[in-house]
Amino acid sequence: MSNEQVPASLRELLADIFEISSEQVTPELSMGTLDSWDSFRHLQAILAIEGEYGVQFDPQRIPELTSVARLQAELVKMGVAL
Amino acid sequence: MQSDTERQELRREIKDAAARRDAAATVAGARRLLAASSKPADVMFCATAFAGVADALREQLGARRLKTYVVRSVTVEPMLPALAVEAVLANYVLDLEVGGYGSYADELLNSDSSLEKFKPDLVLILLDMEEIAGRLPEMCADGIGAEVEREIEECVGRMAQLLRSYRAGGTARILLQGLVVPDCTSLGDVGEANLPHSLTKAVQGLNQRLAALCGTISDCVFFDVDRLAARHGRARWRDARMFFASRLAVAADSFRDYARGLVRTFATMYRAPRKVLCTDLDNTLWGGVLGEDGPEGIATGSAFPGNYYLEYQKYLKQLSSRGILLAIVSKNNEDDVREAFNVRAADLALNLESFVALKINWNEKADSIRELARELSLGLDSFVFVDDNAVECEAVRQQLPEVVVVEAPAAEPWRLVEVLSEQPFFDAAVVTGDDMHRAEEYRAQARRAELASSMGSRDEFLASLAIVCSFQSALDAPLARAVQLLAKTNQFNLTTRRRSAAEVEEFAAAAGGQAVVVRVRDRFGDAGVVGLALARRQGDACYIDSLLLSCRVIGRGIESALLAYVGEEAARAGAKRLVGEFIATKKNAPCAGFYSAHGFSRFVPSEERSSESVFYEFDLTSSAITSPKWITLEGNER
Repeated sequence: MSNEQVPASLRELLADIFEISSEQVTPELSMGTLDSWDSFRHLQAILAIEGEYGVQFDPQRIPELTSVARLQAELVKMGVAL
Repeated sequence: MQSDTERQELRREIKDAAARRDAAATVAGARRLLAASSKPADVMFCATAFAGVADALREQLGARRLKTYVVRSVTVEPMLPALAVEAVLANYVLDLEVGGYGSYADELLNSDSSLEKFKPDLVLILLDMEEIAGRLPEMCADGIGAEVEREIEECVGRMAQLLRSYRAGGTARILLQGLVVPDCTSLGDVGEANLPHSLTKAVQGLNQRLAALCGTISDCVFFDVDRLAARHGRARWRDARMFFASRLAVAADSFRDYARGLVRTFATMYRAPRKVLCTDLDNTLWGGVLGEDGPEGIATGSAFPGNYYLEYQKYLKQLSSRGILLAIVSKNNEDDVREAFNVRAADLALNLESFVALKINWNEKADSIRELARELSLGLDSFVFVDDNAVECEAVRQQLPEVVVVEAPAAEPWRLVEVLSEQPFFDAAVVTGDDMHRAEEYRAQARRAELASSMGSRDEFLASLAIVCSFQSALDAPLARAVQLLAKTNQFNLTTRRRSAAEVEEFAAAAGGQAVVVRVRDRFGDAGVVGLALARRQGDACYIDSLLLSCRVIGRGIESALLAYVGEEAARAGAKRLVGEFIATKKNAPCAGFYSAHGFSRFVPSEERSSESVFYEFDLTSSAITSPKWITLEGNER
């Protein structure tokens, strides 16, 4: 899969937080495959996404949203038009 | 909120500016982006851009680098980008290190902790209720709480022990954060307000005690996070969801306000407050235009809409009572203004004597401010200019970039006080007796100038002033005043080292060391503590690390008296040579020839020190430095 499957706004945001290029933000990108995606960056990403799209994640789901695909799916589930 | 295209455009500009290492453009772009959008992603974007130009920020904008260690019991990491960004906007580059959740006590108490090893310039202590006063919520639950007072006492005692223990070994400046009054309690708002030992009252009492504690520790400032939380709404300050999930004590929406509060608070330990506020008159100090409306027609006084302006005048009067000098810079006829102050005296909170200087004429305002700076012997970076006219404001901004310009919101005069108080330039964690008497001292200065012009020779004039210098330890100055002088003296400052209180204490305590201040008075008044010298013994020589004098007393021989005193003390302690050091800065050219003029000769120390230093020595065994004959000395008889 390619980065085209990640909406531009999410791609830019995650690229800023993990300090990578937006081309690297593919659906498969995850906490397990990216060194800079540690637990604090994860929290930063969650807070940034909440601020960006005006949503609030269920805190119990937060530890599970550890890949771009899962984040994207969760946003869609919450009714965000990506 | 601007469109997403504009946001992307601004981001690209910032990225480009950062790529070509243009610090000013990066910061300007970030300011524009953040003014329009404070989303976490934008803040993080700016933090990354700033991190990439950290060196350029220091080299091109003179940003101060602070190695900053965060002692914490809560999750602060997501807030750090906001902290870094706000710091850069205030011209600091933070090099951040965060301690462990549970190890804060060890970090402060243990001399080989990660905190000590980091060798920070600044320590931020951010603890929450659980750590500082975990038992309070339960003890206050009935509102009667017989034990509450004693518990507060113990909490303060524990914190005092941590701070003192750290201070005994570490020289970093300290910011101690207080507690936020919990918004939801079982007593409810009415119980909290009425019961004698509600949690609200206990936390407020504890905060007051912690603030007082900080006042007793050198280089330590209290951060009243509750005041900040209250301003922005305590209910919104914390996001309970994220607090419970991640121990995040501040909601993401509040990161920037929180970070700004932290920066504004610690900045008072590194930056001296500005000293002079120059105000315009028409549509600023009063409503309307004096030349058109006449003294009866201008709006001022307790009736609406004059009360907008009365409020501003009262604010200025309050600033003046803690040592901020007021001046009028206005394009008007001086006689008309005098008449207005006379006719409308009952409707004005200030009179002409409230101002140390009047620049009421038709000259360019930038010229008037320049003149004022010369007359008051103050740098332009001590000035704030308030005017409602956008053109005047821009002219001053362009001609005098050091001056802070505040544009009075002419269409919304009720906002002027708010606009002023949002600005950090008059912030001070300490107000000394010298501050409060400053206005008086500047008026005495004016009388001295009159006397000088009526006297024949300079010596005759100086003798007629009957100057008395008294010397005392910098620790008794009080110490806060000594540190204040170190922080803000620029013109007559041989080395411009911004020593901290802890460092001054070291100079005083070392064998053969000196930390001395000079207090000056003359027939016109008491100028207070105006000069300081720090020296250390090295071999057979006494090295003067710092020597400085407030610019308002330069040229009366006081600097010579201070040097003579240091020489005498050094000789008394057995030193054979007195070594002076000069480090040139943009501002201290007037004292470049100081040591040569006092019989010192140039020399190069055997171990080459910092290349920017020029060293001078004086042989104490064959002669002594003479103090001017017109100065009476006190405090060096022993």
